[in-house]
Amino acid sequence: MDRWLHPALFFFIGALLLPLFRGKAKKFFILLIPTLSIIDVALMVQGVYGSYHFLNADVVFGRVDKLSLVFAWVFTIMAFLGALYGLHVEEDGHHMAGAFYIGSSLGAIFAGDYLTLFIFWEVMAFSSVFLVWYRREQRSVDAGFRYLLMHVFGGLLFFTGMMLYFFKTGNLVFNQIFPADAGLAEYLILAGFSLNAAVIPLHAWLPDAYPEATVEGAVLMCAFTTKTAVYVLARGFPGFEVLAVLGTAMTVYGVFYAVIENDMRRVLAYHIISQVGYMVAGVGIGTEMAVNGACAHAFAHILYKALLFMGAGAVLYMTGTAKLSKLGGLYKYMPLTMIFYVVGAVSISGVPLFSGFVSKSMIVASAHEGGRLWLMTFMSLAGVGTFLSVGLKVTYFAFFGKESAIQTKEPPANMLWAMGLTSALCFIIGVYPKVLYDLLPFPVEYHPYNLHHLSEYLQILSFTGLVFFLLVGKLAPEDKMNLDMDYAYRKGALFFMKFDERVISVVDTFWGELYRRVGLALLFKNARISYGFDRKVIDGIVDGSAVAVRGVGSLVRKLQTGRIQAYIGLSLLMFFLILWLLIKGM
Amino acid sequence: MIVKWIEALRNNLKTLVRVLIVYLVAIVIFDAALSRHEAHYMIDKIPAYWTFFGAVGCFILIKVAKGIAHLFLSKDEDFYG
Repeated sequence: MDRWLHPALFFFIGALLLPLFRGKAKKFFILLIPTLSIIDVALMVQGVYGSYHFLNADVVFGRVDKLSLVFAWVFTIMAFLGALYGLHVEEDGHHMAGAFYIGSSLGAIFAGDYLTLFIFWEVMAFSSVFLVWYRREQRSVDAGFRYLLMHVFGGLLFFTGMMLYFFKTGNLVFNQIFPADAGLAEYLILAGFSLNAAVIPLHAWLPDAYPEATVEGAVLMCAFTTKTAVYVLARGFPGFEVLAVLGTAMTVYGVFYAVIENDMRRVLAYHIISQVGYMVAGVGIGTEMAVNGACAHAFAHILYKALLFMGAGAVLYMTGTAKLSKLGGLYKYMPLTMIFYVVGAVSISGVPLFSGFVSKSMIVASAHEGGRLWLMTFMSLAGVGTFLSVGLKVTYFAFFGKESAIQTKEPPANMLWAMGLTSALCFIIGVYPKVLYDLLPFPVEYHPYNLHHLSEYLQILSFTGLVFFLLVGKLAPEDKMNLDMDYAYRKGALFFMKFDERVISVVDTFWGELYRRVGLALLFKNARISYGFDRKVIDGIVDGSAVAVRGVGSLVRKLQTGRIQAYIGLSLLMFFLILWLLIKGM
Repeated sequence: MIVKWIEALRNNLKTLVRVLIVYLVAIVIFDAALSRHEAHYMIDKIPAYWTFFGAVGCFILIKVAKGIAHLFLSKDEDFYG
């Protein structure tokens, strides 16, 4: 196929057409959109498509190479699984937000320049926040606003970096940056990317927002935002030492919180930080094998993390709570959900025959081969914590453990099918890693199933299990929440409000009073003098230009109607302009 | 069916624990028996290094995480109001 069709188009156009369908046709349509996008990706040929000259810069919508394709594959597959899992959702808006979110993340990974990337980057943030708000609880609304604020902040870092980069180089081409060339512009872009990758200390939005999202929305969110960020890091910043160190710190930081959290979905959310840490570290180590490992791990991770969120979501959907302190003994009522969750848990823990083993071990092995033994040690410790928190703790306290009063049944069939299919994929990648390795950006010569690796992983996992069962009483979940970096802006905002109330407003009142008493008297005197000058000299000059200003002013006033529908109309117009550019590029 | 299997295992906990202990011993012996002439680093040369690593790592993680949580991280659910 020498013509290229942007897979985002299916999602954008599909989202707009969705409200026209009813009943069974709608369900069919919801599944059709990602199916078409998978076929589209399968038919794609590498090359550069859809490039324009716009605002003094080259804009590229379609850079198709091995790196963007591996992410496109997993994004479209995940879009299908997510759609299947959320098939029962009634609200069109929820499906539309999901479609815009997925479409814009596809737009981001195919973007060949910073401007296109930035636009899709922002659409991602603004569409995904609706997946939090659709939960329709006060906590979710609040968390959604915090999520949005943090992403706007990250977007601004990115935007500032992009502008500085443009002034420095005169173009906006998004290619690999070498650590030696990096200045303020590049590091600002890196910081913007890192916020989306939940790199500590810019991570707190993630465990804050994801557990408050809708059951179906969280499944999508855990897949796209952080992995789009991993993609742009792998594209732009391989070999940055700061990423190797922070990534490794993330792996341990995430499991640390996952061990103490009570809410199932918050355990999983913290654990995303840990998992994305492996990918960020892989990018930071920067060898071919490490970047391959980061991509392989992103691929495998999207599937099993979504599977875990599906399982936890099913529990929340059926029982109304995801708090481990309130759950227990669910294996009796939800045996299939339990099995699917366990498949996700063993995959993420790196149990041989499942997908995590063939991807994670690649990054750890690349640290080992490079002689980065400290990085390897902390990553292995995070591996211990992974099995401990997601594998053993959640499984034990939700599905086994002490009996709770909760009696329930399996979730709807579409949820079970989505979980079953995802489980199958985790297993297939685990026993036949070639399907995954063939997609990777660099040619690989890596065999996960050698005796030393097997022995290493079996020992780590088994003895983690032993200590867990010896200390299980110590791990009993508690009805508590744990402080994190969001303290800075959640309490910080309150502090700022108080500061505003007590200090700024007092100073302001005092200043106003001072001005009224002293300033005004002086002003009146002054005014009398300038009045004379004004009437005689200035008036003549100004009258002419005033007429011109009034003319322009009234034109702007007509545009600035302040009516929301006019703004929405204008945004839609812009949207269609982008859509038209995309279509024209094919 | 799945539920019955799990209940059968729960009713025979003693046997299960014995089987698992045999399994743990077996993987330690397996690692000790592996050849080590390709080892580059010290950690590759110690037999059953990862057994030690898994057990101690898990113990430290539980103790440190729970310890710090109880020290100052853990707050009531409505802490932020």
